[in-house]
Amino acid sequence: MPRTTTVDCIGCPPLRALTFDTLGLIKVLEARDKQGAPRVVERWGEPDSSKGIMAVSMIQCHSNPLLAVARKNGQIEILSPVSGDLQATISSSSDLDLQSDVVGLHLFAKANLELSTRPCTLLTCTSKGNASVRSIDITDSSIESSCLDSSKAWNVCASGSIECCKVDGSEKFALFGGKGVEVNLWDLDNYSKIWNAKSPPKDSLGIFTPTWFTSAAFLRKDDHRKFVAGTNSHQIRLYDISAQRRPVLSFDFRETPIKALAEDIDGNSIYVGNGSGDMASFDIRTGKLLGCFTGKCSGSIRSIVRHPELPVVASCGLDSYLRLWDTKTRQLLSSVFLKQHLLHVVFDSGFTVEEIPQGADLPCKEQSVNEIGVMQGIEAPSLKRKKSSKNKGNVTDSERKKRSKNSKEGKKSKEMMKVRRLCQRVNRNPRKKARARNVKLMKKGCDSYGSNSM
Amino acid sequence: MGAKRKKRSKGSDSDEDDERDSPPPKKQGASASSDSNSIKQKSKKKEILPSMIKNKEKRSEIHAKLKRQKKLEKRNKLKERQAAEKRALELGEEPPEKKVPRTIENTREFDETVCMPDDEELFAGNDADEFSKILSQQQTPKILITTCRFNSSRGPAFISELLSVIPNAHYFKRGTYDLKKIVEYAKKKDFTSMVVVHTNRREPDALLIIGLPDGPTAHFKLSKLVLRKDIKNHGNPTSHKPELVFNNFTTRLGHRVARLIQSLFPQEPEFKGRRVVTFHNQRDFIFFRHHRYIFETKEIKKTDTKGKKDEKGTNEKVPDHKTIARLQECGPRFTLKLISLQHGTFDSKGGEYEWVHKPEMDTSRRRFFL
Repeated sequence: MPRTTTVDCIGCPPLRALTFDTLGLIKVLEARDKQGAPRVVERWGEPDSSKGIMAVSMIQCHSNPLLAVARKNGQIEILSPVSGDLQATISSSSDLDLQSDVVGLHLFAKANLELSTRPCTLLTCTSKGNASVRSIDITDSSIESSCLDSSKAWNVCASGSIECCKVDGSEKFALFGGKGVEVNLWDLDNYSKIWNAKSPPKDSLGIFTPTWFTSAAFLRKDDHRKFVAGTNSHQIRLYDISAQRRPVLSFDFRETPIKALAEDIDGNSIYVGNGSGDMASFDIRTGKLLGCFTGKCSGSIRSIVRHPELPVVASCGLDSYLRLWDTKTRQLLSSVFLKQHLLHVVFDSGFTVEEIPQGADLPCKEQSVNEIGVMQGIEAPSLKRKKSSKNKGNVTDSERKKRSKNSKEGKKSKEMMKVRRLCQRVNRNPRKKARARNVKLMKKGCDSYGSNSM
Repeated sequence: MGAKRKKRSKGSDSDEDDERDSPPPKKQGASASSDSNSIKQKSKKKEILPSMIKNKEKRSEIHAKLKRQKKLEKRNKLKERQAAEKRALELGEEPPEKKVPRTIENTREFDETVCMPDDEELFAGNDADEFSKILSQQQTPKILITTCRFNSSRGPAFISELLSVIPNAHYFKRGTYDLKKIVEYAKKKDFTSMVVVHTNRREPDALLIIGLPDGPTAHFKLSKLVLRKDIKNHGNPTSHKPELVFNNFTTRLGHRVARLIQSLFPQEPEFKGRRVVTFHNQRDFIFFRHHRYIFETKEIKKTDTKGKKDEKGTNEKVPDHKTIARLQECGPRFTLKLISLQHGTFDSKGGEYEWVHKPEMDTSRRRFFL
């Protein structure tokens, strides 16, 4: 008997997300009110299949955020994520071969901060393995062709095709992998390969699965040594370059290729999406399944993004839905139908609700926290404290009282983290029973996969 | 059972909650046949559902009674309605509106993916998809039909009929080739689509439609196959290019599937052939029918307008000719149900799905995807 009750979506805290699809459209979604569903606010670009967006990179910065977009026809556009104004275009016909698409793109945030004239630097990588680092002057006058100041190009792989390319948090190392290409790490200071993975040994039957990496992610922002990679043969592998060249840990997830990977902020759990629309989160330290994100998702997941501040994960894919999930309860917060096959999603973390006075976004955050955590008494003030450092004017009197009670030691961030971690630990307890069942299932799953994992 | 009853009688009869919850009091009453109990029963009868009664005879008796009651009510309602209609007709008023029955289709759950005709993004998306070349007649479709490895009895018969339905279709023996190899071959030979008929136990049970060179792959379950020779009074189709009818493909996914199927056929129908191929979607099942039609002029008999005769009796001198379309079914008859729609060509291992049916999606019988 199928379930006949409808599951209502709770709605998500105020946020702003940008989605990119196969027709080259960029859609801006904003959730403004308390527990509202996000709505499409703006749509940039005209539908054109040759302008499908292959790769996206964004600088999250409050003063002047930038968004770089690589299109199918080889053009790379630099936009402002706030207004959608085109700031520069690079047509790659001159220096990149036309046959291969751009698969990796990264805008360097460091260079952006240093100078006021904003020569932005970007790393591109095509599917044939031609990587290049270029810096471009963004001058508002000349939109069509911006001059290339300096560029450095090198070849990442001799054969095969690159499918994933990531740059770590310190922006000194880049990671490449793909079909027939083992993951390799490059030092971006002197453009040299510093590490190359080794394929795992043949299995007990003597069968060797060909290398085909489809996605990768660094585990922590400050640590370039640990990263996870997903393969076409539905395996997730953890590599530690300081330990060995073979994966430290590898486990299977369902039966279709892993298509998207994202790391959590805490660096301990990852989010995995695969080709048939299953999404789950794993504890990467043990390789155990924490839980699946269930919500009628039927199309391949192409991109998963964790919000840098709120406990929200966004996923989008070929079923043309943008879905927002709660990271802790793994519940669907809301889903938006966006008509085209979505390829990427990006959160704009600099977004705050400004139009509505009296600090509308503050109570929202609290509410979302209330739903997540049972012990709101401890958790709420810690969040408030953090929020208060941003916009003090919005805090109402009652909240101020609470804050004064709770925050005795000022705004030490370390202290805050401690409190929050404590809350999380406490929160888990009431739901232990429900989780115990999950754990059992997880164990079962692990056993069945156990023969494959290392 | 017996022990339970004993317990209750021992404990206390005043336990009202206990009595209300459990059906056995009926039986107890019957055995005791005390007046007070029977009165209680009567007052309770309306609340108790027949399914709650454990005595089969009683249950069936009550059930029959209820059924009869319902039937009577229904008949009375119909009589009332007819009377009201007649009265309205006599008085020359507008007859009361006919009620539209509630069906699963028209109480369908709200679906945001249903396409609106004024959606410009939909048309932009359609123009950009893989089939737009064929559907805008820039390219003539060329179809490769093949089977699974083992193929006999109804399979070949079905394929020969498919060949007669789809113009410019070519059958290739499967042999022992991999499907991926055949896809490669078809790409090289400029085929635009590929159809694979899968047979199980000598009965076709699945259909795979692959758009080439990079179009999607749709996997259908095939059921209720009736071949031409099993259809009574069937016609034989000519080799004219058929007209196409697509019904009820409403959602984004439905449009995509419809366009995929549409791209199997050439887009210039020869109306001289009077051949129609219909794909009718109802509750996510796609019904395939193949007809020949003919227009005929027919005299209308006067007797069929009984009610209006006495009013309009004088002014009926108009020639009573009416053109009607007669249909003759020819070619196979089958039903398809979408199982998955895959991005790219056939790849069972590393394939990416645009849509897969998952059991968790069946939350309601009023939820449809096409």
